Amino acid sequence: MLTICMKTEQKKLKHSHLWMVFAGIPLLPAVLGGGNYLNNLEMLKSGWYSLWTQHSLFYAGFFYGPLIAIYCSYIWRVEHLNYNWNSLMTMPTSEWDIFLAKLLMALRCTVALQLWVGVLFILSGKIVGLPGLPPGEILFWLLRGSLGGMVTAALQLVMSMMVRSFAAPVAVALLGSVAGFLLSGKGVGMFWPYALMTEGMNANKSTDVLSSPVGFGVAVCGFLVLFTVVGVGYLKYKDVHA
Amino acid sequence: MEYIVETRGLTKRYSGKEVVKDVDLKVPRSCVYGFMGPNGAGKSTTLKMLLGLIHISDGQVAIGGEKVNRKNRIAILKSTGSLIESPSYYGHLTGRENLEIVQTLKKVSGKEIDQVLKLVRMEEQQNKKVREYSLGMKQRLGLAEALLGNPSLLILDEPTNGLDPAGIQEIRELIRELPRRMGMTVLVSSHLLGEMDQMADYVGIINHGQLIFQDKLEALHEHSRDNLRLRVMNQTAALHILKREGISCALKEGDLELPRLADDETAQLIGRLCEGGAGVYRVEEKQKSLEEIFLSLTGRRGSL
Ligand SMILES: Nc1ncnc2c1ncn2[C@@H]1O[C@H](COP(=O)(O)OP(=O)(O)OP(=O)(O)O)[C@@H](O)[C@H]1O
Ligand SMILES: [Mg+2]
Repeated sequence: MLTICMKTEQKKLKHSHLWMVFAGIPLLPAVLGGGNYLNNLEMLKSGWYSLWTQHSLFYAGFFYGPLIAIYCSYIWRVEHLNYNWNSLMTMPTSEWDIFLAKLLMALRCTVALQLWVGVLFILSGKIVGLPGLPPGEILFWLLRGSLGGMVTAALQLVMSMMVRSFAAPVAVALLGSVAGFLLSGKGVGMFWPYALMTEGMNANKSTDVLSSPVGFGVAVCGFLVLFTVVGVGYLKYKDVHA
Repeated sequence: MEYIVETRGLTKRYSGKEVVKDVDLKVPRSCVYGFMGPNGAGKSTTLKMLLGLIHISDGQVAIGGEKVNRKNRIAILKSTGSLIESPSYYGHLTGRENLEIVQTLKKVSGKEIDQVLKLVRMEEQQNKKVREYSLGMKQRLGLAEALLGNPSLLILDEPTNGLDPAGIQEIRELIRELPRRMGMTVLVSSHLLGEMDQMADYVGIINHGQLIFQDKLEALHEHSRDNLRLRVMNQTAALHILKREGISCALKEGDLELPRLADDETAQLIGRLCEGGAGVYRVEEKQKSLEEIFLSLTGRRGSL
């Protein structure tokens, strides 16, 4: 049933032109990061690692979270419009399937974004004249960041489900990401869902800050379960208001 | 009798206020059940509770003889089609794509899409984006979605809203046909009484959240005693005779309206009126309109 629900979720996103947003916006942190790198060459001497500090600073701090938020807001926008809550909740599907189908769509988006950012990172490295390919470690951080992104996706999905506004949850994601960056610097990132993107991606750092992968894993899983349970509970126990 | 929908003490409270109160709905199988009541009476609220869209404050709901709970919710929804409040639709998708979503979720064959499109006469518009549909077309699409999967129970909340007179007639006829053609039970709400006269087998009337009448449509008509209408040449003479006979009467649209009399009494009275020179032009039985019946049931005037 979950795959069936995903199929229909996929259909609901047709004609949305979302892909243009997701293709276009990640160019900005790539350009900003590359530019910063070139302007500070005398300080940034670790090649690919240095470029990563610049690229990920902008991307994790300002773009990744809001992009995920836009996707999640869109997923719910189609239901908030035109009384679709009534039909969504009278289909023969469990509340778990409804929420998980949307969550899996969002999770897929967090991974796809990271892959695209990886491509852009390599391209910008080539453009600024770095030799060879980036170290595998950086690509590992990138994908690990998508685990953090998944936590953001689950949280945004809950928020956009409860709030009819498209923009407000996106703004929250932006503020949350910036705060996450700061909290991460203070070493309490594990307790702030939006900080897990920064932590996972090792943003703005050239050596791995994640001394404890276990802690990170527990935080990711814990938040994912928490937000999913809250989301499904809302669908189960809240009166539908189309 | 076995009912496809049966509620007991169904109640919904919003911040302490009972908007649906102790409703015992009894909907027999394979019929059209008209659920009537003025605006704000609690029709939509009741129907939403049946579908689990809103939670029940008190009482219980049984559908298909089974008490509805979290476990059988999905099975019940699978054999139920519904159209609540206003039609739901994804505006950026075509009518057909909208139907495909429902078809996929209800796991029915793709062929049914063509059947329901034909049933609501939307074949021509199926590839247009629903955003561009008129309200009537959206309503038809909503009906088509509800019909997908050949549900045994169809719950329709004011389905003729926004349709033009021809469309209204068409939808009524379609609803009328469903029990016979597909064996469906249709629970349809409306605040228009005339509408029910044309399609309902059973009626339930809700007012201020309380079910004040529930029976066969004919019973509702019987509930209202018919009146006798007389048109006479000489009203003064007629009134005089009626007074002498001790029969109450009222003037209505220039005619005399009397309570219904037994056949022999009627014959006797007419004879007297003729003898007395009242000159009887016309004698007719005047059926109370559903509107009048409703007003006498609810004791409420004004728009319905
Ligand atoms: N979410 C809600 N919170 C508080 N009161 C509500 C809510 N929904 C409905 N009501 C109240 O419940 C009452 C019944 O509303 P309902 O929508 O069921 O009426 P209805 O019979 O469908 O009327 P209509 O013919 O206008 O559709 C109304 O007085 C309405 O104000
Ligand atoms: Mg209503």
